[in-house]
Amino acid sequence: MSKPKVTFYWCASCGGCEETVVDLAEGVLDVVAAVDIVLWPVALDFKYKDIEAMADKSIAVSFINGAVRTSEQEHICKLLRQKSQLVVSFGSCAGSGGIPALANLTNKQDIFTTVYLDNPSLDNKEKKVPKELSREGKYDLTLPSFYDTVYKLDDIIEVDYYLPGCPPTPELIAQAVGAILKNQLPPKGTILSPNKALCSSCKLNDSKPEDIAIKEIKRVIDIKLDPSKCYLAQGVVCMGPATRDGCGVSCINGNMPCTGCFGPTDSVKDQGAEMISALGGIIDADSSEQLNKCFARLPDPAGTFYRYGMSASLLGSKNKKE
Amino acid sequence: MEEKKKTILYLCNCGKNIAEFINMDELQTWAKSQGNIDAVEIHDLLCAPNGKSFFKEKLNASKAENVIIAACSPKMHEATFSKLAEEASVNSGRVLMANIREQCSWVTKDKEHATKKAKHLISAALAKAPFLENIEHRSLECLTDLLIIGGGVAGIEAAITASRAGRKVYIVDKNISLGGHVITTEEVAPHMECAPCMLAPRLAMIKNDPNIQVITNAEVKAVRGFKGNFEAKIKVKKRYIENSCIGCEACFPVCPVERKSEFHLGMGSTKAVYTLFPGSVPAAAIIDDSLCKHFSDKSCNDACVKECPFGSINFEQTDSELIVKVGAVVVASGFDSFNPAKHPSTATHLKYGELNNVYTINEFERLAASNGPSGGRVLLKDGTSPKNVAVIHCVGSRREDILNYCSGTCCVSATKVGHMLRKQDKEIKVINVHNDLSFATPEEYSFYTKERTAGTDYRRSTDQSAVKLASNGKAIKVSAPGITSFDADMVILATGAIPAKSTPELASLLNIETDKFGFFKSASSLLEKTLSTIDGIHVVGSAQHPASVGDSIALAHSATAEILSSLMPGRKIELEVATATIDKERCAGCKLCISVCPYSAVVFNSEKKISEVIEAICRGCGTCTASCPSGASKARMFTNEQIAAEIGGLFK
Repeated sequence: MSKPKVTFYWCASCGGCEETVVDLAEGVLDVVAAVDIVLWPVALDFKYKDIEAMADKSIAVSFINGAVRTSEQEHICKLLRQKSQLVVSFGSCAGSGGIPALANLTNKQDIFTTVYLDNPSLDNKEKKVPKELSREGKYDLTLPSFYDTVYKLDDIIEVDYYLPGCPPTPELIAQAVGAILKNQLPPKGTILSPNKALCSSCKLNDSKPEDIAIKEIKRVIDIKLDPSKCYLAQGVVCMGPATRDGCGVSCINGNMPCTGCFGPTDSVKDQGAEMISALGGIIDADSSEQLNKCFARLPDPAGTFYRYGMSASLLGSKNKKE
Repeated sequence: MEEKKKTILYLCNCGKNIAEFINMDELQTWAKSQGNIDAVEIHDLLCAPNGKSFFKEKLNASKAENVIIAACSPKMHEATFSKLAEEASVNSGRVLMANIREQCSWVTKDKEHATKKAKHLISAALAKAPFLENIEHRSLECLTDLLIIGGGVAGIEAAITASRAGRKVYIVDKNISLGGHVITTEEVAPHMECAPCMLAPRLAMIKNDPNIQVITNAEVKAVRGFKGNFEAKIKVKKRYIENSCIGCEACFPVCPVERKSEFHLGMGSTKAVYTLFPGSVPAAAIIDDSLCKHFSDKSCNDACVKECPFGSINFEQTDSELIVKVGAVVVASGFDSFNPAKHPSTATHLKYGELNNVYTINEFERLAASNGPSGGRVLLKDGTSPKNVAVIHCVGSRREDILNYCSGTCCVSATKVGHMLRKQDKEIKVINVHNDLSFATPEEYSFYTKERTAGTDYRRSTDQSAVKLASNGKAIKVSAPGITSFDADMVILATGAIPAKSTPELASLLNIETDKFGFFKSASSLLEKTLSTIDGIHVVGSAQHPASVGDSIALAHSATAEILSSLMPGRKIELEVATATIDKERCAGCKLCISVCPYSAVVFNSEKKISEVIEAICRGCGTCTASCPSGASKARMFTNEQIAAEIGGLFK
């Protein structure tokens, strides 16, 4: 019997999701032994045409990481969907846009202007900006088109399962692969991580007072975090209460607050809004002056509350074509 | 979302209230064209008797399980239609009102616009309908006894009223005996009723009433629970005298220690063993252990012990704790008076405590009282009778920097001064210096006009905050803008009422709110006047706002009526149906919902490490649901899915 065919594909991502596959260490060898990898651009040299030549549904599972923001990414995602029995959205960017989706606060033109024209460290006297079509001698050179909006994977194609995290942990990946190989799959659409907020696993939760009240929000750089006390109680925004469990509480074990990469639980529509609403209940301020003072050290609300979830947020995007 | 249920829509014309401003024919045609409505019925006045029978008839015929009524505000008739629906076997959780009257026909002039708006409002309800859930009606056996905090006139009247209905009453006072402010007063204006004569029989009734347990020299330390089921912890401080004491005063003459009398506001004295006044309830005296010789050099050889015919003195007595279970709490903790020495402005201007013969109105009440320190004769410090007395109104009151309100009770007390002084000696001249005057009833006003005719001279200053007192030989010079300065030999300061010192602590332990002036807040200024911000806890008398004796008693009666009629022995109380619930599978125990609950209805289960709603206390405000960042908390009838669907429908 031939081994099940598997692809790993990346869209707009940092490469961390690829790294976490390698982090499986010896485990990766088990995966490699059990499956036949037919596409993995970051590690192995396969061609898109090889995939195009395959029969529909001949790939057992495609793991796709990264958000979708170019025509090429959209094209390959659709191709993989067509050729795969299962598509697993891999990591925060595929799941909810991730860090690239913070670009939804702006648009293509502003991004290009900043990156290619206004950037102070730039040397671009000819003011060249990437174009979808350019002529080089007698050749037409093409680039994929760059979208105004950064999409999560399920905006583009149907997704069967989600592995959350920036990146997903090796343990969750191993569990997911194991479940697929053994055909012990949960209902379609499941996020393969516990459906409770992180506080349920956090060792600092016992130290959290019931009458928690924040007079002044602090950034991590403002204080020396007490590793034995709930960070929210110390005035630092910890996204743990609004974030799905399953990461092994790794940031908090490293004495850093949760930034929310596992996304919300399944009964929450908008992770950032939920956290803002929850904070609203524990901010101790009676006047607008006190409120301003309280939030003075929160210069980047979008990056704090929507660091990974802008594509899934109710805020939408500046230029969404809908 | 459950399987599809049939939905019926009622359109109510509300006579002309809706039909005149909304094109009902068009609305009906539109509604019928909506795919998710199974029946549309229109009626001229759905809340009228024939409308109600129409409602039930059509509901039965349609076999619908979701009911939408496009009519008035849910505050008007949601309960009406919920009840009718229940009678037709439809769960009231599936009854929804689209308010096309208050939110539409009454406020939208253009008929076309109003019709369009009505469609949006109905569309929102239609979108919510598939997400409706059955709600469970729950009831609870209730406790019917009362805890009354404060033994002034309001507390006394509440206790007597409740006891008469057969309820057990616990009345707690921090003082050593009952009576509050009123017992320190000689006569109550405007009718000049004798206050001790009015209260003495009431106190005797309480004393002889087996249903009323009087707990004095005591403080409520904790109250938990909810309407119909409160538990209170009361700390009873030691008094070194057992209950067998009948207040015979045999021990008083042999006690060698003199101390200032708090009953006379420091103007008279008592022994170290004392009662506030003869005939107090309880009768038992108390020993001031900070001064009693037994606790220092024992030089008195415990003379009181030898003198006591009842063996009531017990130097070994300790503080004790009492737990009581009640259905309702009445807070009647009263008020304090503004102290003019405590604020720099009034201290500088009025020199209260510095100048001789300057008294507050409360001190005047004691001086004029027949059981007062001077036997009811108001005298100057040198023992002579005053000849010229000034009364200063609004001391501390109606000022942005001190008390930014009018107590509404001091003008009548200030008017009383002239009345009482002329009763003592009709030659005494009384000048009241005021700016505005506040009299709450026709009787109070006519008391004022009568006293004015009888000789009290009212002089209107242009600024009461600028009234100044200064020493002028033996006299006190009174000056104020707008009037000519004059000399007086005695000055009475009509000070405003302020929240009792115990108010903030009491508010915090009862978890009830205070208003911007610091008094306990009413749930509503009109309909639920005596209810605090927590169901089952009522606030009466001057604990709620400065109140006259009559108003205090009326509030006490009103609160007691509410309690007696809503907590009936053997009758269960209906609990709020639209409560919040926390999904124990989803709750991560982040505790963020706990502090936001205004009713302390959310508690942390430290064993399961999750938060839980005590549904009997929950009033369904939804605050915990809004604050829950993981979707574990759900507000029944207003779930996130329902609200999202409703908003979606509104914009359709």
